[in-house]
Amino acid sequence: MTSTFHSLETSKRSLITQQVALTTLSHNIANANTEGYTRQKVTMVATRPMEAYGMTKSTAPGQIGTGVEYTSITRIRDAFLDAQYRDQSDIAGTTSVQMDTLSKLEGFVNEPSETGIRTVLSDFWNAWSDLSKDPENVTAREILVERTQALTDTFNGLSKQLSDLDADINMTIETSAEQINSMIGSIASLNDQIKKIESLGDNANDLRDQRDLLTDKLSKMVNVTVTDTEDGYTINMGGANLVTGGETTPVNAISLEQSYDNGTLTGGEVHGMFTSLDIAAEFTGQLDTLANTIVNGQFQVTIPKGSVLPGTTVPTTADQLMTVNGINGLHQLGYTLGNPATSGQPLFTVKTGFTSITAASIEINSNIAADSNLIASSMRTTTDGAGVSTVVSGNNSLALLMSQMTEVKFSFDETATGGGIKEATLGDFYSALVGALGVKSQSAARENTNAEAQLAQVDGSRMSISGVSLDEEMSDMIKYQYAYSAAARFMTTFDEMLNKLINNTGVVGR
Amino acid sequence: MALRITQGMMHAQLTRNISKNLNKMSDIQNQSSTGMKLHKASDDPVGITYSLRYRTELSSNDQYEKNTDQALSWLDYTDSVINQAGDVLQRVKELATQAANGTNPQEALDAIKSEIEELKSQLVDIANSKFNGKYIFNGENFTTVPFDTSAAGFDPKAIETDSESVKYALGANVTIGISLTGNAVFGDADPAGTGTNVFSVLDRLMTAMTPPTTDYDAISNEIPNIETSMDRMLNARAAVGAKVNRVELMQNRIADFKLSLTDMQSKVEDADLEQVLIDSTTAQNIYEASLSVGAKVISKSLVDFLG
Repeated sequence: MTSTFHSLETSKRSLITQQVALTTLSHNIANANTEGYTRQKVTMVATRPMEAYGMTKSTAPGQIGTGVEYTSITRIRDAFLDAQYRDQSDIAGTTSVQMDTLSKLEGFVNEPSETGIRTVLSDFWNAWSDLSKDPENVTAREILVERTQALTDTFNGLSKQLSDLDADINMTIETSAEQINSMIGSIASLNDQIKKIESLGDNANDLRDQRDLLTDKLSKMVNVTVTDTEDGYTINMGGANLVTGGETTPVNAISLEQSYDNGTLTGGEVHGMFTSLDIAAEFTGQLDTLANTIVNGQFQVTIPKGSVLPGTTVPTTADQLMTVNGINGLHQLGYTLGNPATSGQPLFTVKTGFTSITAASIEINSNIAADSNLIASSMRTTTDGAGVSTVVSGNNSLALLMSQMTEVKFSFDETATGGGIKEATLGDFYSALVGALGVKSQSAARENTNAEAQLAQVDGSRMSISGVSLDEEMSDMIKYQYAYSAAARFMTTFDEMLNKLINNTGVVGR
Repeated sequence: MALRITQGMMHAQLTRNISKNLNKMSDIQNQSSTGMKLHKASDDPVGITYSLRYRTELSSNDQYEKNTDQALSWLDYTDSVINQAGDVLQRVKELATQAANGTNPQEALDAIKSEIEELKSQLVDIANSKFNGKYIFNGENFTTVPFDTSAAGFDPKAIETDSESVKYALGANVTIGISLTGNAVFGDADPAGTGTNVFSVLDRLMTAMTPPTTDYDAISNEIPNIETSMDRMLNARAAVGAKVNRVELMQNRIADFKLSLTDMQSKVEDADLEQVLIDSTTAQNIYEASLSVGAKVISKSLVDFLG
């Protein structure tokens, strides 16, 4: 037997439930553009019908419906896609940083252009060619000094840009470590809050959204695997837990570097930063090798007959093939402009504070920079009866040899970072270096495009499931609105029925 | 399950596509405004290695071009100087022929002799010719005057000029000696004065005209020696001519090489402008279409149609 007011109760439940559905719907619409928001759905269930199975059950037929109630408000989300998204996100993080770094390196190298190393190197050889035509000419000598300085300046400048980049990346790694710590701190505290709320049986939807968003962002920084446990998310980076329930293990630049070195940091922007440091270091090494080879690299050169080698007084009678150590070695085979004959000094020297020639430390010998007459261009002297050697200043053998260095193959130090090149002209070594940089940059850009596309694909799948569709919400809104109106109408109808019964019946004797 | 499309997805996709199209357009515009398709190494990593090589070779080539021009000027100048010396000798020969005539009175011989004296110092001047501040007849010693008239006991016929030739680089591993030694033009050093050195010949001529040893036979005997000197100068001019030919040949080769290098460089570095213009129009159309479609689609939802 049902109560007289049973239907009032049923429609009240309906009103309440449809209203909750509408409220949730409004929440969905409100958050249609909120980052990381997952659409929520009210689960409606018909309430337990009358009468329950039992000894007191009346003989009345049927199970009379008692209306509706909502059992939960849930997020529509696919954990599998989350895992996929986070995997893809760390790849995209790595490749985007690598691409960025390589494109910066390309910018530094700045080829093809009229200001790069190729140009200053060409200008340097051409200045020697000009000097060969006018070996005693002060202008030609001053120009050669300028060209040499431009060459060393270009190397120094490039090296400076590279070390600045290095410092920038290291700084960014430190900032990233702070960001990671702040994120894992938030995730841990969300773990606690979610646990508290959900222990009461509710779904902490919006907090879970925040936690997932933070986890997504974290996955862009470092490679993480996420396990959903009773205590919340356990976030693991290559074997080490960053978050366990409410606890965190903070990182810093040093611990991140250790993780990179032992292979547990394998993805994400931070990983990209470490690989970028490697890329920049390799490139710096190659530049250093180039600078050092120009100065000290061995090559063979034909000393023309009639030359007087330093330390001797007799002119050579035939062309002589000699192995020379770099431009410095060659320069010391010649004689400066001054008399008595003095052999050349090293053309390049190491800046104070350095021990060997690198792109950073190469500089023009300061004596030569101060006095261009110290540039050796002649390889011929005459010795008078008294044994005093005089330079034949018009001899240009050394300047000619220098001007032809573009064609000469230098030996590159294989143990240094030289990209495996043993013997090559300086120009070929340099263009191989630039070409390799181009290949790396191109493939990094391609990998990044692929990773971004796949990330977009996974994100699309995720949005397809979790995103708010206004059309859908609108049509649902109409549905719930009508259900609400109908429930209200039913209440009115029932009210009228009761009105009829209570106020308009039993009027006999009134 | 059919893909559920949401406003957010459409918006993300539209943004991605528009930015992709805009990127492409900017890339093409960069190509068309610079005329180059190679801006950085990653645009064409193989191409850049060629590009760098072509640029280096073009730069050396330009230098060789400069060197050949200067070599030619040097050689032209040498040629004209030797020509002047030849004219001097021609005059000497006329004078000697005139003097060899036994009817000449001593006064006439004296006049001829003093003219020859002048011609001799003119020859010394010529032998000391400078080009761009360099004595062209003193080999690699071009900073020192070869026929130093102020030197004590100066005797031009005894001068030995430097035997090395000034070398210019005119190509990769190609050097040409462009200077002639003074001895090749004026004859080998002849301190005894008995050889065919042009100054020895002049000295003997003048001695033959000087009393009391005036010797008409000796004068006419020197005429073949004058001719020998003239031949030597002709030979020197021929040598200069041969060098000019060789340098001009190099010049042509350098010009040809430059042309083909520029051509190859252009193939690697330059944008195909017609293609770029077509691509540019296409990219612009696509970009505009994506904007216009975006504007229409993105604003519409069921919201717009509910009363």
